[in-house]
Amino acid sequence: MNKRTHKYLPLFPVLAAYIVMFIIGDNVAGMWQLVGMLAFYCALGQAFNIFLGMTGYVDFGYVAFLGVGTYGMALALTRIKNLEAFGLGIIPIGLLLALVMGILLSLAVGAVALRLRGAYFAIATIGVNEGFRYLIEGAKIWNGAEGMIFTAQMNEAFGRDTASAIMTYWSDIFVLVIAALAALVTLVYMRSKIGYALTALREDEDAAKVMGVNVTKYKIIAFITSAGFAAILGAVSWALKTPYVFPPEVFEIHYTVEAIIIVLLGGAGTLLGPVMGGLVYGISKYYLSIILPGFQLLIFAPVIIIIILLFPEGIVGMLKARLKGTSLESFVI
Amino acid sequence: MFLEQLGGNLIQGLVLGAIYGMATMGLSLIFGVLKVVNVGHGAFVMVGAFTTLWVFNALGLNPIFALPCAFGLGMALGLFFYYTTIRRLIKAPELASLLATFAMGVLLEEIVRLGFGSEFRGYNWVAGKIDLGITVLPLPKLYASIGSALIALGLYFWFKRTRAGNAMRSVVEDSEGARVCGVNVGWAYALSFALGIGLTLMSGVLLTMFIPVGINPYMGGPYTLKAFVIAVLGGLSSPYGAFFGGLVFGLIENGSYTLFALIPGVEPFALTRFLSFVMLLVILLIRPTGLLRAK
Repeated sequence: MNKRTHKYLPLFPVLAAYIVMFIIGDNVAGMWQLVGMLAFYCALGQAFNIFLGMTGYVDFGYVAFLGVGTYGMALALTRIKNLEAFGLGIIPIGLLLALVMGILLSLAVGAVALRLRGAYFAIATIGVNEGFRYLIEGAKIWNGAEGMIFTAQMNEAFGRDTASAIMTYWSDIFVLVIAALAALVTLVYMRSKIGYALTALREDEDAAKVMGVNVTKYKIIAFITSAGFAAILGAVSWALKTPYVFPPEVFEIHYTVEAIIIVLLGGAGTLLGPVMGGLVYGISKYYLSIILPGFQLLIFAPVIIIIILLFPEGIVGMLKARLKGTSLESFVI
Repeated sequence: MFLEQLGGNLIQGLVLGAIYGMATMGLSLIFGVLKVVNVGHGAFVMVGAFTTLWVFNALGLNPIFALPCAFGLGMALGLFFYYTTIRRLIKAPELASLLATFAMGVLLEEIVRLGFGSEFRGYNWVAGKIDLGITVLPLPKLYASIGSALIALGLYFWFKRTRAGNAMRSVVEDSEGARVCGVNVGWAYALSFALGIGLTLMSGVLLTMFIPVGINPYMGGPYTLKAFVIAVLGGLSSPYGAFFGGLVFGLIENGSYTLFALIPGVEPFALTRFLSFVMLLVILLIRPTGLLRAK
């Protein structure tokens, strides 16, 4: 095996997990709904990890990027006239719009917040989702607090059968693809100058600066990438899968909490972590909601504290320590 | 007409601002001494509000009596969280304490929801009102405002005049130096965390005198954001800065509401919330040390 492919070995377990998820969902009856949910959590973790995991900065307003992405797709479907002429072409337009809006918001937030460090950064971001939600509701932008429902537009653009296939099947597959792409980008970043710079930044920002690392540049790269994936994820998983958007729902801080739990549980800054975290979190949430409905957060809140206190490295961090020196070592990072 | 309305709203803003200020002192105290940002701040405000509800409805007492209960409960919660969690995280990267305090907030919200349910609750304390000509001020609001100022003043003297207060100030200045001079630094940390949480719970009590029917396990979120704006206004690590920041914030919030209401076709209340978020970013950008600091 040559060195080039060796570099990308750690991608195999991640991709294998996603393929297995697809096969199980597609072939085992009644599993598709669970697989769709797990795919969302893995993708969410994978996207959030690019920023939180690689820089060590906590973005409490992360859900705002998903919300904005949802609006991107919603606007493409509701504001464009003559939908039939576009047909499926409306989806790439919506995705592009979501991406652009997500990146613009991340630039606006990043321009202020990324000048700040640690606690100050967290404080600056904690209001982003609420702030954006109240801007939409207050200035009555995009229908304000009423939100938008666009099932009819989807039926018009794609035809009834295709629209329902998109909602129930293709959107979940798309989410799996986003998760895999985010994992690929994470690995590319890790193996490039960006990864080394961010590791230096995470360990000691001042030392990295003194050594001539342009920390601001790399922070911005990680922030925008992470936000872009979030926007696309919102557009696919929230707009295409459930064709409506209400400001209080898509800017709900709850989803930031879930992203944090997934990344921490799996191991922040690792490639396999978000997959592990997403699967463990998603499966336990799914079954807890059956056994003990309404108790998920009550259980997960102490779990976060326990992870922080006792297992700050997460599942993959511990796994890495176990596998050190074995032949499996190069598969897990 | 407009000026009267603005004047009336500004008076209301000043009265409310005193509570906002008091509600932020705990956050600033904890950050000032431990350098830990309590991201779960709003949840502690909420616990204070539920304490009042319980004292009023179950014990049938005047909400003022909830203050000592809330303070005691807050100190106990503060000590509990300090010794189980925060103590181990003071030296850890900020990520850890941010996430831990956040999780504490979620935990408290869920526990309260389990006990009381998630619907809005309230209580009805009839205590009269005064008519100021341009605005009518219900007495509970006035009591809450005066109570906040008294608590802030009490904290000020406690810091300046007592031994424990001096010890805590010395830890803020230089924790190593304080240790050398015989101050039990660990104890000072524990005490300031407990005191900070106690103050925050008391502010929850006073807050219910403003919104007696808006009590809900998830009511804390907006107060976390407001508290951050106010703390940053006041320089983040100074409890007194926070108190004056609260007054300024109350004035801005109510004043801007009157102005936003002039714009046709908007939702002025939602816009004031957006404004507080913008203020936070702008202050952090141009003056992260706080507007009220001379230096």
